[in-house]
Amino acid sequence: MDSASLPFDHALFPEGTKRCKLKWFLLWIAALHGPLTVGAIAAVLCWALALNVTNLNNNYPFGLWIAADLGIIALGAGAFFTGFLRYIVKIDELKNIVNYAVVIGVICYASAQGMLGVDIGQPLRGWFIFWHANVHSMLTEVAFCITCYFMVLCIEYLPLILENRQINKLGFFHGMAHHLHEAMPAIAAIGVFLSFFHQGSLGGVPGVLYGRPFAFREGFLVWPWTFFLFILSAIACGPCFTILITWITEKCAQKQLVKRNVLDILAKISGRLLAVYLVLKGIDTVYWIATAKKVGAPLGSFYANQPYGYWVLVLELGILGVVPMLILLSTKWRQNENLLILACFLNCAGIFMNRWIMTVQSRAVPVLSFDKFVPYAPNWVEYASTFLFVWAGAVVISISYRYLPIFPQEKELNPL
Amino acid sequence: MKEAHHGEGDKKTYKYGMVIDLDRCTGCGACMVACMAENNLPFRKDNSSRVRSNLWMRVYKISNGRSFPNADVSYIPRPCQHCEGRDHHHATPCVSVCPATATDYSHETGIVSQIYTRCFGCRYCMAACPYHVRIFNWWDPVWPKGMKKYLNPDVSVRMRGVVEKCSFCFHRLQRARDKAYAEGRRELHEEEYQTACTQACPADAITFGDLNDPHHKVYELKKNRNAFRLLEKLGTNTKVYYVSTRAWVRKAADAYTGNQGDIVIPG
Amino acid sequence: MKLDRRTFLEILIGFSAGAGGGFMLTPVNWKLMDDMAIWSQELWPRYQLGGLKGRLPQRGEVTHADTVCKLCPGGCGITVRKVEDRATKIEGRHGYPVNNGGMCMLGAAGLQLLYGPWRVPGPLKRSGARGTGSFGRISWEEAMDTVVQKLTDLRVKGEAHTVAAILDSDRGTVPQLFSRFLKAYGSPNFIRTASVDDTYELVLNLMQGTSGSVGYDLERANFILSFGSGLIEGWGSPVRVIQAHSKWRSGKVRDRAKVIQLEPRLSNTAAKADNWYPIQPGTEGALALGLAHVIIKESLYEAEFIQNYTFGFEDWSDVSGQTYMGFKRLVLTEYSPEAVSRITGVSASKIAELARAFATADRPLAVWGRGKGTASGSLNECMAVHALNALVGNINQPGGVSMRPEMATQPWPEVVQDGTALAGSNMPRVDGAGTSRYPFTKYLPDRWPQVMNGGKAGAIKALLVQGADPYFTTLDSASVARAFDHIPFVVSFSSYLDETAYHADLILPNHHYLERWEDMPTPVGLHKPILGLLKPVVSPQFDTRHVGDVLMTIAKSLGGSVADAFRWEDYESVLKETMGDKWDTLKEVGYAEEPDYTPPAGFATPSGKLEFYVSAFDQAGMKIARDVEYLPHYEPVKPEGDAAAYPLILIPTELMRLADSAVGNPPFCTKTLEENELQGNDLFVEINPKTAAEYGLSEGRRAMLATPKGKAKVLVNFSEGIMPGIIGIPKGLGHAAYDDYLAGKGVSANSLMGVVEDPISGLCATWGIRAKLTRV
Ligand SMILES: Nc1nc2c(c(=O)[nH]1)N[C@H]1C(S)=C(S)[C@@H](COP(=O)(O)OP(=O)(O)OC[C@H]3O[C@@H](n4cnc5c(=O)[nH]c(N)nc54)[C@H](O)[C@@H]3O)O[C@H]1N2
Ligand SMILES: Nc1nc2c(c(=O)[nH]1)N[C@H]1C(S)=C(S)[C@@H](COP(=O)(O)OP(=O)(O)OC[C@H]3O[C@@H](n4cnc5c(=O)[nH]c(N)nc54)[C@H](O)[C@@H]3O)O[C@H]1N2
Ligand code: SF4
Ligand code: SF4
Ligand code: SF4
Ligand code: SF4
Ligand code: SF4
Ligand SMILES: [Mo]
Repeated sequence: MDSASLPFDHALFPEGTKRCKLKWFLLWIAALHGPLTVGAIAAVLCWALALNVTNLNNNYPFGLWIAADLGIIALGAGAFFTGFLRYIVKIDELKNIVNYAVVIGVICYASAQGMLGVDIGQPLRGWFIFWHANVHSMLTEVAFCITCYFMVLCIEYLPLILENRQINKLGFFHGMAHHLHEAMPAIAAIGVFLSFFHQGSLGGVPGVLYGRPFAFREGFLVWPWTFFLFILSAIACGPCFTILITWITEKCAQKQLVKRNVLDILAKISGRLLAVYLVLKGIDTVYWIATAKKVGAPLGSFYANQPYGYWVLVLELGILGVVPMLILLSTKWRQNENLLILACFLNCAGIFMNRWIMTVQSRAVPVLSFDKFVPYAPNWVEYASTFLFVWAGAVVISISYRYLPIFPQEKELNPL
Repeated sequence: MKEAHHGEGDKKTYKYGMVIDLDRCTGCGACMVACMAENNLPFRKDNSSRVRSNLWMRVYKISNGRSFPNADVSYIPRPCQHCEGRDHHHATPCVSVCPATATDYSHETGIVSQIYTRCFGCRYCMAACPYHVRIFNWWDPVWPKGMKKYLNPDVSVRMRGVVEKCSFCFHRLQRARDKAYAEGRRELHEEEYQTACTQACPADAITFGDLNDPHHKVYELKKNRNAFRLLEKLGTNTKVYYVSTRAWVRKAADAYTGNQGDIVIPG
Repeated sequence: MKLDRRTFLEILIGFSAGAGGGFMLTPVNWKLMDDMAIWSQELWPRYQLGGLKGRLPQRGEVTHADTVCKLCPGGCGITVRKVEDRATKIEGRHGYPVNNGGMCMLGAAGLQLLYGPWRVPGPLKRSGARGTGSFGRISWEEAMDTVVQKLTDLRVKGEAHTVAAILDSDRGTVPQLFSRFLKAYGSPNFIRTASVDDTYELVLNLMQGTSGSVGYDLERANFILSFGSGLIEGWGSPVRVIQAHSKWRSGKVRDRAKVIQLEPRLSNTAAKADNWYPIQPGTEGALALGLAHVIIKESLYEAEFIQNYTFGFEDWSDVSGQTYMGFKRLVLTEYSPEAVSRITGVSASKIAELARAFATADRPLAVWGRGKGTASGSLNECMAVHALNALVGNINQPGGVSMRPEMATQPWPEVVQDGTALAGSNMPRVDGAGTSRYPFTKYLPDRWPQVMNGGKAGAIKALLVQGADPYFTTLDSASVARAFDHIPFVVSFSSYLDETAYHADLILPNHHYLERWEDMPTPVGLHKPILGLLKPVVSPQFDTRHVGDVLMTIAKSLGGSVADAFRWEDYESVLKETMGDKWDTLKEVGYAEEPDYTPPAGFATPSGKLEFYVSAFDQAGMKIARDVEYLPHYEPVKPEGDAAAYPLILIPTELMRLADSAVGNPPFCTKTLEENELQGNDLFVEINPKTAAEYGLSEGRRAMLATPKGKAKVLVNFSEGIMPGIIGIPKGLGHAAYDDYLAGKGVSANSLMGVVEDPISGLCATWGIRAKLTRV
């Protein structure tokens, strides 16, 4: 092909790949900036006018932001877990998706931190969480682990950038990328360690609140059961999220990027982990009902306030838990792309619902018998500033996909 | 004021607390306003939403849920309960969770303090408090022209985005101590440190003092057989006791009714 | 081309990497972070509090000053904590005989009124139409000259009697200065705003021949039977009564005093009572007589007292041999528990039970005066309750009823009236009080607007208002507004831009109560004399002057006998002279009292006894047909409106957290209102769910409340604590004046209520009005 007909920036594309014309690409990026700007405005409002612009109140110190935060981080677990399987368990096939898992991870963790920056009342002092750290607080643990792990993710992301066709031509960067690859197993190991911890601590955040029987869980040593359940649920849905995003990317790129057997490995593992999770979650729920009753909180009191009826339990554990589990466990259903994607979607939705229940509903349920339940629904400011990070993520993915060699199988699957 | 480490050391430890007689409490709300005036609480043109307005002392109006003419109501003034917690795993709910150590349980006084200038507004402490004691500053405080004059210099004004709550009028303890030290005393008399709400209460429903000190009124009052604390079962181990001769009131303080809706006249 | 791009990329990447890394290594960013944190902690709050000028709140030397609260007739002693020259906190004064350290919410918020934006900054002259709130500042000289001009003109035209003054009280030096002024000037029209005192003074006058209102020895009573009095809501001197309540609630549960509340609604008082008997509103008098029936029938009354110290209990005959029915026969024939039960809705058995408990208690006390006692009420109802107290012989007894006494002060020299003054003062009062129609009544505060609107538009040509807010507190707001429109010249001396000031032509602002000297006579409802002294705690915050000084300056400029009546050089000397030998104590201690005062025995009636049969009526030459009219009996007060159009009954309810008198509710107090009392600017009315269901109303939803007097949009609050068929509306909101912390919130109960006159006293006996509530 003569370079004239190629996009202006084709020299930056990964070796032997095809990309759309630059103007279409820029148009797409510009389009994403529409909703992105709305989100940015919302965030600025929060900083300029204080949080009274949201629907949060003293009964709902935690709202959409925190729920989304915990959800996103759980979904981001795909990164460390795929890394774990690839570099430590050494499932070699996964090298074809691990890059993308990392990109998604970076976005998830960056989003989580960005959202917190809007959520806290005094962002300018946010760093006090490190400076005046209280070691007894689960949130402190979360903050430290997440920040460290984010750095790890960046280091994992760096070689991808360096492998850009042009950058890679520079000897120094080429070498750097190479060495980073050598070190990847070690880095992945660190990431795994950190991740297990903060995924757990996130579970600890509600789990330790013994003043809130709805959220409180007994546990092992300093860790409430939610600590372990959150780790498990995160690694059970992380890979599904990776599959989901990969699938969406393929639809946008209008080409297959990863071989189905690769996705199938992730799906299978997800399904098995989800099964284990659901069993333990079931046991936890039964035990929780008993312990809550001991402190004078019968199960009924938790589901007495609309809209939070018993259906919440059914939806979370049944439709968003058992259903995807069954699909993912059965080889036949898994192979059916539509069913697979449905399962992944339900699984991810389940995670969000679980995090919402643990952070928002658990605050909403009155503890004092004479206290009154007040409903809460996020307002546009909260939604816009939350989705801001979805759009930003899309931009990062678009750029990464266009210029970085993320999908090793792309060339093979789509010969020029 | 230096704090003794977990009650060790030569320093004597106190356990300041309250006993509130609900048979006397009339729900008049003088305690609420006395607190607002003492602690520079902000106010807004519309304060009608309880979930956004700022009350350190909140007087709940609770009902027995029965219908006319058997309806009955009682009032429950609710300052910060200054939870002591049970043990290491059940430390003061709000204090143990604060990532920035912006709130703190003094093992010398039993008072849960709040350091506004350190709080960065994550609101985790609010999530931890089952009594809705903690209030977030959703707005910056604004006083109408001229009104700043009455602000109390002993209590700092709080900026937007931080959490605040009843401090048992900590600054009054500081003043009392300064005075005592100046007079070469180490011990305070019972009446030297009294909270603003206690002093204001026209019904003498609130009694404040050192729960450990047999010479203080609260010491005996808390032993009343009608005395109880809010949500005892949770093990928050609060330092605010209540007394009511009405069984339904005592029950409401520590029992779920399943459907909260029908026993509360919200307040 | 390719090479270019490559070098370009190299530079770009190298540069950004270098810059980023380099910056992270410098301390600059860390320093910036720290600076921003400090800014958020210190500079921002300081900026919020008025820029960097000085530390706010300003620190400084702390002092304490004692004075007396004047925000209600309670007369509590207060101690103000000051930092330098700023008042920073109001606390109850320990050891003060009224409130011993206790406080009410309104008093505790007093500083918001002192420093609030609703203060009148200085003399104001109306610049726009009335009620538009447009005023212009003028000098004190101009302000007072305007008044002098106006009053001189009227006096010259022989219309001195068309000048009226409305005050919140007729006791103490300031009210006395006003009545003296009117006397010397030549007008009979000194008007005192409504309260239970109006009726109680009348009852004590008729039945005991004494002049003055009531005092209850609440502290020593141990069976309190309240006929709808808001003992907790703020009846009498609020803190004092609440402290008495706490006394009743002390000691062994067994030995505690019993409190019974008769009221259609579960008010705070009812909730605190040992027993709450819901009763058809307006039938309290009948219930009192029903109790009397049982007590007499079972001879549980104090026979000794009845025999020796009362007149008209048994049937009696005069010199001409004509026999008259006694109280006993009336009650035994007319008010059997069954009959009374039909009227009141309280079961006959409960009535009998209650009567026995009351009569056999060792220190029973029946308390009268609806709610906070801000309405005059029905004469017969009050007489019936007083008769009940007489039956158990607790008149002038410990734990009983007596007359509210005053500390003796120095009398003033008699006013020497000139011809104009004499002529004017002898004209009939605009409200008709004291005329042959209402011979015993001193003031008819709710009647003058009706009179003016009823064809006597010119009756008041100049109105002076001090310490009161009649425009807001008088029933039937619409007719009050019309009456004000008829008055060409309205002068307010208010410190606040209250409703009356807002509709005045001229405002001559008095000092705020924390800025001025004044005496505080025995607080309402007390049975012992206490004289308190208001002392300036802070220097005047605005261009205000003491109303006493202003009035005297005006008097002096009017010249002649008016000037002669005010020989004092300023208000302080008036105060000093009046307090006489007590002045030094007052200045030092802040109050004077007689702790071991005992009420004088004996009665000054024609019979020298307490009269069930009011012979005074004869002496006044009133045309009274039937015997029963002379005796305490039940005279139903019909609520306005016809039952078909208005099937429900609306009663005013009084919230302890909502000031409904001359003082507007301060922000702190409004902040304490519950979510089912005020929501945004919308007021809730209380209604029983059953009734609500009948009219298809749903909780928390909007509804239209209509009475013969007006209509208003309200929100519906379901309450199991209110009698079916009744709607309760809180008093105190619906201000147009003050500012957005109060103005525009809720609706005024007074705008929906009308005036129902008591046939004998002419006072307002309104207890409610017919209404309908429809969903919108
Ligand atoms: N009782 C009591 N006393 C205290 C304290 C306490 O907690 N209690 N706190 C202590 C503490 S922590 C501090 S920091 C001090 C603070 O006490 P100060 O240092 O006195 O602080 P300010 O009074 O706020 O400011 C001092 C002066 O600086 C002026 N100023 C403001 N901006 C500028 C500027 O840009 N240039 C110049 N030249 N002047 C300016 C202000 O007008 C003010 O007059 O108070 C101490 N005093
Ligand atoms: N409006 C206004 N704001 C200011 C300033 C100003 O001048 N005006 N000055 C600025 C300056 S210079 C400073 S240094 C800061 C100081 O501001 P803050 O740090 O707020 O100082 P304080 O208000 O003295 O104390 C804060 C709170 O700590 C509580 N406290 C006191 N002692 C103890 C203790 O031993 N333990 C705990 N846990 N709590 C305690 C007090 O009761 C008070 O409620 O204010 C800054 N902000
Ligand atoms: S001031 Fe006393 S009586 Fe009034 S509400 Fe508070 S505690 Fe109750
Ligand atoms: S009541 Fe709430 S705020 Fe107060 S100490 Fe207990 S947990 Fe903390
Ligand atoms: S809001 Fe403030 S006090 Fe509460 S936990 Fe967060 S930092 Fe601590
Ligand atoms: S103790 Fe002090 S801070 Fe706490 S409620 Fe009472 S007045 Fe307010
Ligand atoms: S009761 Fe009346 S006098 Fe006493 S403090 Fe309250 S407002 Fe003032
Ligand atoms: Mo400072």
